[in-house]
Order: sequence, then structure tokens, then C-alpha cells
Amino acid sequence: MSNVKEQWGSRIGVIMAVAGSAVGLGNFLRFPGKAAENGGGAFMIPYFVALLLVGIPLCWAEWAMGRYGGRHGFNSAPGIFSVLWKHPLSKYLGALALLIPMTVYFYYIVVEAWCLGYAWNYLTGNLMMGKNPGAYTDFFTTFTGSAADASLFSGTIQQSLIFIAITFVVNFLVVYRGLSGGIEKFCNIAIPMMAICAMCVLIRVLTLPANPENPEQNVINGLGFMWNPDLSVLRKPETWLAAAGQIFFTLSVGFGVIINYASYVKPKKDIALSGLTATSVNEFFEVCLGGTITIPAAFIFLGATTLATFTSSSFSLGFKALPNVFAEMPGGQVFGFLWFFMLFLAAITSSLSMLQPVMAFFEEGLGLKRKGSTLLMFLITLLGSGFVMYYSKDLAGLDSIDFWSGELFIVVLALVQAIIYGWVFGTKLGQEELDSGAELRIPRFVQFVIKFVSPAFLIWILYSMLTSKNDAGTLKMVEKLKDPIQLAGFCIVMGSLLFLWVMVYFAGQRWKKEGRA
Amino acid sequence: MTTAGWIFMIVSVLSVLSLVVYCVSKVLFYAPKD
Repeated sequence: MSNVKEQWGSRIGVIMAVAGSAVGLGNFLRFPGKAAENGGGAFMIPYFVALLLVGIPLCWAEWAMGRYGGRHGFNSAPGIFSVLWKHPLSKYLGALALLIPMTVYFYYIVVEAWCLGYAWNYLTGNLMMGKNPGAYTDFFTTFTGSAADASLFSGTIQQSLIFIAITFVVNFLVVYRGLSGGIEKFCNIAIPMMAICAMCVLIRVLTLPANPENPEQNVINGLGFMWNPDLSVLRKPETWLAAAGQIFFTLSVGFGVIINYASYVKPKKDIALSGLTATSVNEFFEVCLGGTITIPAAFIFLGATTLATFTSSSFSLGFKALPNVFAEMPGGQVFGFLWFFMLFLAAITSSLSMLQPVMAFFEEGLGLKRKGSTLLMFLITLLGSGFVMYYSKDLAGLDSIDFWSGELFIVVLALVQAIIYGWVFGTKLGQEELDSGAELRIPRFVQFVIKFVSPAFLIWILYSMLTSKNDAGTLKMVEKLKDPIQLAGFCIVMGSLLFLWVMVYFAGQRWKKEGRA
Repeated sequence: MTTAGWIFMIVSVLSVLSLVVYCVSKVLFYAPKD
């Protein structure tokens, strides 16, 4: 069995950490854009259906598998999978749950640094450039280096590199302090702080006066832009796909994080209520705050026509459109700072959760101490993030890794987990695991949903992704591999998978010797 | 904002709020302490 194991310090701590992992930039930027684009209020019908049929059941499945694995001495997905499915291949499937957080971290840390950089530039007043949309686009292009490759490394030290260095150091300092002493303590402070910042911005947005140049551009019509339903979209499969995709993205399902975090829950402690609470906290940030801040604020100052051009891209909405809003809003400098600082907190609680699963594997699979696993992870992510920072033209490096890891493999891993839970581990054992110490009775039909409905839903999503001919579809991304940077991004993801498989092989040998697998 | 828009917004926000209030209050006030 394992050595002295880390555990969560408190029940609230694990809920905050899982909620922190789930609440990210997507809650405030991706969700409102997706909803506005896909039928407004009508989008919430497939959204809630996907939440109930796939999101919450799969979260519970991950919590159950994680705690079961933890009880059997494993915290990393390869180890947990080898306990759930006693087959030599199972631990290699578990490597997917290391690949996704590790490679997503490569670019997520860069975006996180943008948020910190923007917050700083609001604090110092540099981003208060008046009504000048071009200026904010130029600022974004310079700050992110998206005009040309290697532009962040040419000439003097670029400001964004300093913020990337700061975010790297803060992430690794927190994670080095361990699960309970680092991540849990940080999330316990960051989540309430994030809620306070969001509430301040929400109150400001809801009390904004109408645009004096065009009184039709007021907060009520802004809410209407976001929520007025177009029920005809419900007949389109793309709407359902977008809603299901959003649920995956927002809940961190199939990300490899929940299964790792749940493995540190003490045996016989509740996971049913904790899992649902973490999910509901994430939904609060997404629907109640994300759904009422971003779009109405942008609508008042930009109007429907201009706003519609920004909703398809989270980065455009967040980093190009909203600075225009803060420039005209009374107290815009303060609210701009609060907004981007809140986004930074949302991002860092997510990025911390991406480090822990892989470091847990390095520790239990390769026998490294915390210092060694931190150093190894630091070097790997520095290389990966270096690629994203260097190939910054049109954010191509970021886009490539985001698609293969952050979109496609997430669905693959969620499907693998649903099949292992429903068909290998078994719903009977799963229900027993969820019921053990439960403070919430989970209805039996949830097991049926996980066994039959969720995999079917996931297969449909995967099929749609693989056959989609739109710009974000797999066919288009395969075509894009002709571009050397897109190909390099793909190779980095596949190379990381190969590296992890080799590590998993050595870990398997080690566990065999120890009589653990 | 249309009436349907108001309905969709209020129902969505209230559904999520009631879920979060139920869960958080159960965790904070009714569940056994660690």
C-alpha cells in the first residue's frame, strides 16, 4: 500500500478545490457567448438536459472511482484505473487523465497571465484608453504577441513574460506546499474573493444607466440579448452539441481532475453531497454571474451588431470587447481591475488542479518526493508553455493544443470513464461507493443513466466532433496540420502521451514489485 | 427583453440558486462536522 498519504483538511476544502477547478474563464466568457449564439434562453433547455443526463452523473461517477482508488492506495488515474479494471492496458488508458491536465496547462497558464497582466494594467491606468476599439485590439495583439511568432522574445523583456513568470511561480509555490497546506488553503480564500469581485461587478452592471447616445442600449435589453429565447434552434443538433460541450468544459468532467481530487477524500466520508455542491457552486458562477454580467455590460456600450461579432470568441469578448466597456463605464478602472483579477482567480484555481494529478503520478509511480515532482512538472510545463509563447502568431500554438487536448481528448476520456464505471467497475459497486457515508441519497436511475445514456450521448458528441465540417471540427483541424505550427502542437500532445505511457510502464513495473498491481 | 426572455432567465437563475442554497446549507448546517 501507499506511504503516508495526503488528505483534504476539511469537507469545505475539497468542495472549494473541486469548484475552483471547475470555475474558470469559460464560466464568464465562453458560456454567455455560447448562449447568445445558440438561441439565448432556449439554450438553457439543452444545457440543463446535458447537466442532468451527463454532467452531474459523470461527476458522481468520477468522485466514486476516485475515492475507491484512493481507498486502495492510488491517487493518480493510471493507478486508480488499474484498481477499477484489472487489465494490463487499464493504466495506459489512465494516462489520458494525466495528458489532458498537463497539456491544457501549457496554454492555460499563458491565458491566466494575460488576466493578471490586464488586472495590473487597470490598476495602473494603462488600459484606460477611452473610446477606441482599435487601441484595445492593438494592446491585446502586443500583449499576447499574436502579431508574429517569437515577438514576445524579441528586443526588450515583454510585460506579458513577466506576468507569465509570476503566475508560474505562484502556481508552483502553492502546489509545492501540498494538497491541504497549498491548494486547499488557497482555494478557501480565492473562491469567496472571486465571488465578492463578481458580485461587485454584477451590481455595477445592473445599475448602469442606458447609453445616452442610444437609449435602446440599456441593461434590460442587454439581458434580452442574452436571454430572449429562439426556440427554433432546439431542432438543430449543433445547439445540443454546443450545450453538451459547454457542460463538459465547465464541470471539468473528463479532465482527470475530479478523479484525482476525490482520491484524497477519507474513506466513509460523503462524496454524493460534496460532488453535487461543487457542481452547483460552478453553476452559480456560470448561470447567475456569467449569464448576467458579460453580455449585458457589452451590449450597453457596444450595441447588438458590434457585440454579435465578439460572441464567437471568448478571447475577443473578454480581452477586446470588455475593455471598451470599462473605458466608458463610471468607475471603469476599478471595475476593470476587479473583473480581470476575478478572471485571474478563476484561472489559477483551475490551473492548480491541472498540476496535482500529474504530480501525484510522479510521486506514486516514480517514487519522487514533492520537491522532485514539483521540479519535474515545472520543467515539462515550461517547455510546453514555451512552445505556446514562442509560436504566438494568431495564437496558433495555443489553438492547436487546445483542440486536441482541451476538446477532443476530454470527450474521449469522459467516454472511457463512463464505460469503465458502467461496464467494468459496475453500477452496483459504484452505487455502493456513492452510498458509503453519503449525506444525500442518489436515486437509482442515475446508475442507469451513467451506464446507458451517458456513453450513448458521449459517442454521439464524439462522432459529431469527428465528422463536423465546421471550422472547429476535427476534419478542419486535420486539414490544418499542413501548417507546421499546427502540426507541432499536435506532435507535442501526442509526444506528451508517448512520454506518459513510458512513465506509466515504469510505474507499472514498480507497483508490480511492491505487490500493488 | 421579451416576457419569454424574463421567464427563461428567472427560471434558470432561480433553479441554480435553489440548488446551490440547498447543497451549501446542507453541507454547512445539517451534515456532521469533520
